[in-house]
Amino acid sequence: MRILIIEDEKSLAEEIASFLRNEQYQCDLSFTGRDASEKLAVNPYDFVLLDIGLPDYNGLNLIPEAKRFNSEAYFIVITARGELDDKIKGFNSGADDYLAKPFSLLELHSRLQAITRRKFGHASSVIRFGDFALDINKLQLTWQETPVNLTKKEYDLLSYLVLNKGRVLDRLQLVEHIWGSFYEDDFDSNYIEVHIKNIRKKLAEFDPVNRIKTVRGLGYKFEII
Amino acid sequence: MPFPAGKLKNKIALINALSKVLIIALAVFIIPWLVNRVSIREMDKQLISKLDTVYSLVEQYGVDEFINLGGGYQAFGSYNILKEEYISIEKADEKVLYEEIDYSKRKIEGEILDYRVISATIESGGTYYLIEIGKSITSIVRFEKQFRKFTFYFLLVLVGITILIDLFVTQQLLRPFGRIIEKLKRSDHPKNFDYTPVGTSTTDFRYLEENIHGLMRKIETAFNDERDYISNISHELLTPISIIRTKLDNFVNSTKLTDDEMIKIIESKVTLGRLTRLVRTLLLMSRIENEEYLLTDTVDLNELLGQIGVDFTEHFEQKELQFSLSQPDRKTGIRGNSELLHILFFNLVNNAIKYTPEGGWIAINQVFRDGSAIVEVSDNGVGISEENLPKIFSRFKKFQEGENNFGLGLALVKKIADYHHFGIEVFSKPGMGSRFVITIGKPEE
Repeated sequence: MRILIIEDEKSLAEEIASFLRNEQYQCDLSFTGRDASEKLAVNPYDFVLLDIGLPDYNGLNLIPEAKRFNSEAYFIVITARGELDDKIKGFNSGADDYLAKPFSLLELHSRLQAITRRKFGHASSVIRFGDFALDINKLQLTWQETPVNLTKKEYDLLSYLVLNKGRVLDRLQLVEHIWGSFYEDDFDSNYIEVHIKNIRKKLAEFDPVNRIKTVRGLGYKFEII
Repeated sequence: MPFPAGKLKNKIALINALSKVLIIALAVFIIPWLVNRVSIREMDKQLISKLDTVYSLVEQYGVDEFINLGGGYQAFGSYNILKEEYISIEKADEKVLYEEIDYSKRKIEGEILDYRVISATIESGGTYYLIEIGKSITSIVRFEKQFRKFTFYFLLVLVGITILIDLFVTQQLLRPFGRIIEKLKRSDHPKNFDYTPVGTSTTDFRYLEENIHGLMRKIETAFNDERDYISNISHELLTPISIIRTKLDNFVNSTKLTDDEMIKIIESKVTLGRLTRLVRTLLLMSRIENEEYLLTDTVDLNELLGQIGVDFTEHFEQKELQFSLSQPDRKTGIRGNSELLHILFFNLVNNAIKYTPEGGWIAINQVFRDGSAIVEVSDNGVGISEENLPKIFSRFKKFQEGENNFGLGLALVKKIADYHHFGIEVFSKPGMGSRFVITIGKPEE
């Protein structure tokens, strides 16, 4: 997987790159729109991570330009304005997804993974654990072909945990994943426990093995057993 | 002079009309009076000259020609046929010489008539005679009446015509002014500013318009600068936060840390999360102040509130709160910004959860009252004291010690409600819970 990170803030770009390289992505960095434009013209990319607030370029203009050479590339727009107008603009101009600064690297990882799995066909879009099958494409969980009745938020949480299997996800990351950005400075994240409890209960109806581990004081971790 | 409030055009019309009525009143009373005075003066001249004629006749022929006290005629009197004039000579009662003119009523053949009478005494051979020459003023009185009527109608027509002309002319003259006012009414936001000149030859209006345009340009520049400033500030703040965030994420991922160390990092992330939400919320508030949100979505209120209820299911479960939502069957479409509307009700319910102890209840009531859609969010939580009630919508006020709370949630609610022109009221008593009432107004069909 080759990915171009277009971000004028060098230290942020390098931090993202270091995380993604660790996840076996091949990363190129561009700190200016001009440089990005050149890189997009000569290299094939699977993903482009684009900060639209570039000093020398309106980031959104880069997308149609880049799509001429990288028609397969998947564009994730990053914005520090974090509001709907930009979101709409982003989608109209060909952006495929959108992340508001600051975002969690695990959130980015799970989105890249979901897209990758979808891209590579039916088989890879299904993640199996025990007799369960989590279908990223259909947004559905089944146990031996029987659908497990999860609410949308429960499905979102579970798939987020599954896509980041073996890693501890803290409450804040989980809250952000299911709510996106919200505007309440004081928000109680303890209710995530209830979600996890409900998911565990629903899974236990089919399989007694508890795969969602509570890591005391930290958060939750999904283990594929 | 205190004037009732109103449009300039109407005031000018009113003043015009009043002044004209005043003129009519004056004209109807004064002109006939003047005419009357002039006629009487003219009549007096005639009477005097007639008296002179009588004097010369008496001098020429002697008074005996007319009156003979010892003989046939005790008195002399003569009327013309229509009794318009008369002349009489008789013996005077007093022996004084005088001349005077006055009004007098005379009864002639059973008819009382008004006359202007000149009386004079002459002396002849030791005897005093009184000469009277009268002229009927009936015609003058009648003329005055007629004249008054005529003047009244004439002036009425004249005033009517001038009022119409005034109205038309002032309307024409004031039209550019009206357009300038219209333009100002539409200029509630820099995006609606219109700099096309209204086109007028009146220099005052031109000057006024140029000045208004100047002010509008200043406002527009300030507005745009402010918007750029906020956008830049938020970018400047969110980018460093973003760097710290990714560094912490990477640190957790790539290093072998003890649980205690991990907990410390997660605590830092939580704090950073608070900072992030604070910046985002302030940014959102500034955006609302700058009117950057369009109010053009039609939102189904039933669906929105239903969704909010679902969103908080786990919160209610966690705090063991009873939640109830009552809604009319009728679909309620409201106009506004769907993102902001969601935040408004989200924050209201979140606030209710925050201040309601475990085992309490929270209720959303969606009703119609007097044709207006109303949403009430109530709880039986800690409530708000009377002294704090006016302050709850201010920024950075919090009433529970030790809460991680910047007090922006309700300030944002108020801001969004105001932006949508919704009414917002709070009823609360300490220990008895709170009730927030949002009056939305007439729903869309």
